[in-house]
Order: sequence, then structure tokens, then C-alpha cells
Amino acid sequence: MDDIITTHHLTKTYGSRTVVDDLDLRVPRGCVYGFLGPNGSGKSTTMKMLLSLARPSRGEITVFGQPMNRDTRPRLLREIGSLIEAPPGYAHLTGRENMAIVQRMLGLSDQQVSRAVATVRLQEHMGKLVRAYSLGMKQRLGIAMALARDPRLLILDEPTNGLDPAGIEEIRELLVSLAENGITVMVSSHLLDEIDRMASVLGILGQGRLIFQGTRSELFARSTPDLIVDTPEPERALALGIPAVREGGGVRLSGLDDEDTAALVRRLVGGDVPVHGVRRVQQSLEEVFMDLTGREGLL
Amino acid sequence: MLTAMSLEVRKARRLRVVLVCAVMVAAVVALSCMTLMSDSAREGFGDPAAQPWESLFMSHVMIAAMTSPLLVAVLASRQVDIEHQGQGWMLSQVAGFPPGLLCRAKVAVLGPLLAVAVAVQTTLIVTAGLVAGITVPLPLGTWILYAVGLLLVDLALLCLHVLLAARVENQLVGMGVGLLGAFCGVFSLLMPPALARVLPWGYYAIVSPMGMSDGGFVPITPGYGWLAAFLVLVAVLFGTVSHRFDRTEA
Repeated sequence: MDDIITTHHLTKTYGSRTVVDDLDLRVPRGCVYGFLGPNGSGKSTTMKMLLSLARPSRGEITVFGQPMNRDTRPRLLREIGSLIEAPPGYAHLTGRENMAIVQRMLGLSDQQVSRAVATVRLQEHMGKLVRAYSLGMKQRLGIAMALARDPRLLILDEPTNGLDPAGIEEIRELLVSLAENGITVMVSSHLLDEIDRMASVLGILGQGRLIFQGTRSELFARSTPDLIVDTPEPERALALGIPAVREGGGVRLSGLDDEDTAALVRRLVGGDVPVHGVRRVQQSLEEVFMDLTGREGLL
Repeated sequence: MLTAMSLEVRKARRLRVVLVCAVMVAAVVALSCMTLMSDSAREGFGDPAAQPWESLFMSHVMIAAMTSPLLVAVLASRQVDIEHQGQGWMLSQVAGFPPGLLCRAKVAVLGPLLAVAVAVQTTLIVTAGLVAGITVPLPLGTWILYAVGLLLVDLALLCLHVLLAARVENQLVGMGVGLLGAFCGVFSLLMPPALARVLPWGYYAIVSPMGMSDGGFVPITPGYGWLAAFLVLVAVLFGTVSHRFDRTEA
């Protein structure tokens, strides 16, 4: 699978503060790429650099196999739809008038605009003023604006922000269907659950650094499953000072490899704790994510 | 640039900028023509010594100096605020219309509106004077010269207000500056010219071809050199800052 976006040592600093640090992204063609990270981890800044809305302090960006720079930018942006930070839309105009502005900006045909509006299922609301739209409708209008140019790549920054569960599901289905139709979708979120259900490739950012990039199964492979020790006397086990929490009929420990597990069992037996069983349980994706990002207040 | 201008015209829909202009023109005409209402003024409509046109003209100069800064601030604010509210800067930027270009297009679209407003208000005030019965010959050149000067100052301030509105998201700041400008505009008529020249709104007084003295209204030569310098300064500033906006990171 070839890559639609690659970055090499991509870095952005504001004064002495490094917001994006040495990022090597690879976004494969035709996938939904989930770009995850806590608020303030550098997702929006990265996306702005990909769109040339912010200048990298260091590093290179390649989109569609071409370097993104001042000369190539206009040509490349014609094939990239985007929605950054908040959905665009002039509130005093109708959805139709907003789309007409985008049409004029980009020199699009009526057919392209109609198709984009139909894709986000907003036809019935095009006569309404955007100020009367719900947040979900505004998001859909923003996506229609991004889609109207028939992009090969969509870059969407937290497109489900503020949406109710039904709205989130609707956007999720839309993005998956777009990827099925060959559009590469890069979508950011600080909510793992949202991304997990639509992205085939994940990139996880923490404090500006890429701490994981790969598929869901590769992410799980990176994690060490938790250990459950079944014992009728969990208090006694905890009294030994082991870093565990009570769970059901026993205690649960995280991050122990095989040698640590053997040492633990010896310690429990030596402390006269009745051990009925020891088993591994897979962490949830959320827990893996939390561990990777250093538990930076993720939802 | 033409595409950007046509987009601005589309965006101006429902912003009621024409209505705002019409209301302001009506206010300027009504307030300026109040001098025509008094009996003492009416008695002098046929007497050149009573200076009926000069009196109407100076009334117009004062009202225009007071209202023009407000009109310019309101127009700039309305046309720019939509970009802040609707994420228009970024939407346009990724479509190849950087923020500086948008600012230039906004000035290019609002400028003709101001030109029409100045022309209409001047015509209406002169017509009101004629209808009211002023029979003294009309000093048409004075009115035209002032109208042109007023428009140039309006355009210069429009450039500055568009930049301010684009830079400062809170539009109350721009409106506050417009209000301050209204006071400065009126008081600049009473200021020494040297002081009026250092204030942007002081140029509403600088462009007046008539002034006041103890003996009544007297023709004066407007400070065209200073006006030209001011316009060049604003043009350079607007060009520089708006091109810098083009390179601003989102």
C-alpha cells in the first residue's frame, strides 16, 4: 500500500515551546487514518502544517508523492478537502449560498456541489440559514464543502466534536463509506472510541511526539496484558505491598512481564497468600491508549 | 482579485450594509439640513452676506466628521466579522484566497458603497438647500472638492478599520475606535491644523475648503499636500499589513 502523506522529522516550535516534535507520519492510501491524542498534543498543528496553513520549523511533508511547498501548495490543495478546528459556514447565509461561495472559490460545477450535498444528506436543509443549523448539520455542511472539490484526501480535525451519539455515528458511517470509495481520510480525535470504530490505521500523538503508528492489532501487540491473581484473600495480597488493585475474587496488576509474574507468584506464596489461579487479560484499547499517552486526561 | 470581490459581494447578502449606509446618509442629510429650518436662516436665503450655502456646508462638514468614522467602522466590522464567526479565513485560505487578499477585496467592495453614500448625501443636501429656497449662487466647486476629499478620507479609514477588524476578533474594539473617531472628527474642526494632521480623523477637517472666523465662514485652502501624504502612508501601511496577513499562519 503506498502512502498519500508522509512526513519526515516534522517539527513545529513556537518560541521555546515545541508543539510537534520530529513526526514521521505515514498515511496509507484509501484508509481512514485515526489521528489520536489528548487535547493540546499537537494534532491540529500537525494538520495545519499538512495543509500548509502553518509552516514547519523543521522537516518535510510529502503529499501525493510531491513535496508540499509554496510552489506545489495550490495544486496539491485542490485535491485535499479539509475541516480544521470548527466547521466553516457563514451563519447569515443559507447552506445553498455557502455552497455557492465554495463553488465560486474553487470553480466547481453544479454537479460537484449537488453530489457533495447529497453525500452528507443535507439537501432538505440547504434553504435554511446556517445560523439555524444544529451542530451536526454544520459539521455536515463543512464536510460537504470539503468534499465538493472531489478530493483524493480529506483532512478532518475532530469532526465529531460536540455531536450527540447519533450524529457521531452518522459522521463515522460517512467517513467509512468515503474511504470505501477510495478517498483517504485522516481524522483526528481525542476520543479513542470514535476513532477505533472507523480507523484502519492509527497514529497516536502524545506531547507532540508520535508514540504509536500502525493498525489496531499492532497496537494491542505493543501492550502487556494485565495479570489477574485469583485469591480468596486479596487483602492479604495487598498487604504485601504489591502494586495491585482489587478486582472480583482477586487482584489485578498491570505491566508485568513473564519474569515479573514469576517473582510475584513466589512473593505471594512466600507470604502465605492462597493463590487459586493466575491469568492474563487483554487490556481494553482505551487502557492501551491511556498507557501510551501517559494518562493525559483522556476521555 | 475579481473572484475575491465577487465572493465578498455574495457574502454581503443579508449583512444590510446598504441599509446601514442609507440610514447613515439619511441621518447626515437630516442633521445637516437642520440649519435650513430656522426663520433667521430662511430670511438670509437670498442674501450673500448671510452666507446661506456656507452655513449649510459647514453644518454638513461637522455632521460628516461625526458620522463618517462610525459608518466606516460599522461597514468594516460587518464585512470582516463574518470571517471570524464562520471560520471564513481558513475556508478561504485552503481555497487559495489568503486573508490579506480577502481584506483587499473587502475594501474594494465597500469603497464604491461609500462613494455612492457620499455622492448621494452631498446631492441631497444641496438639493435640500435649493428646495428650501436658497437663491444665492451655489458654490458647486466647494461642494465637489469637499465630497472628493471626504470620500478619500473615508476610504483611508476604511482600510485601517478593515485591518483592525481582521486583526482583533472582538468587533467592539473597532466600534469603540469608530466612536472615538467620531469625537476626534468633530473636535478636529476646532483643533489647530498641526494637531488635526496627526490624527487620522483630523483629515475630515483638513479636507474642508471652508473654515470659521470671527467674521463668519471663510474659504481656506485644504491641506492637500498633507492629505496626499496621509493617503500614501495609509496605502503603504494597508499594502504591507495585508500582504503580511497573506503569510500569517492559521
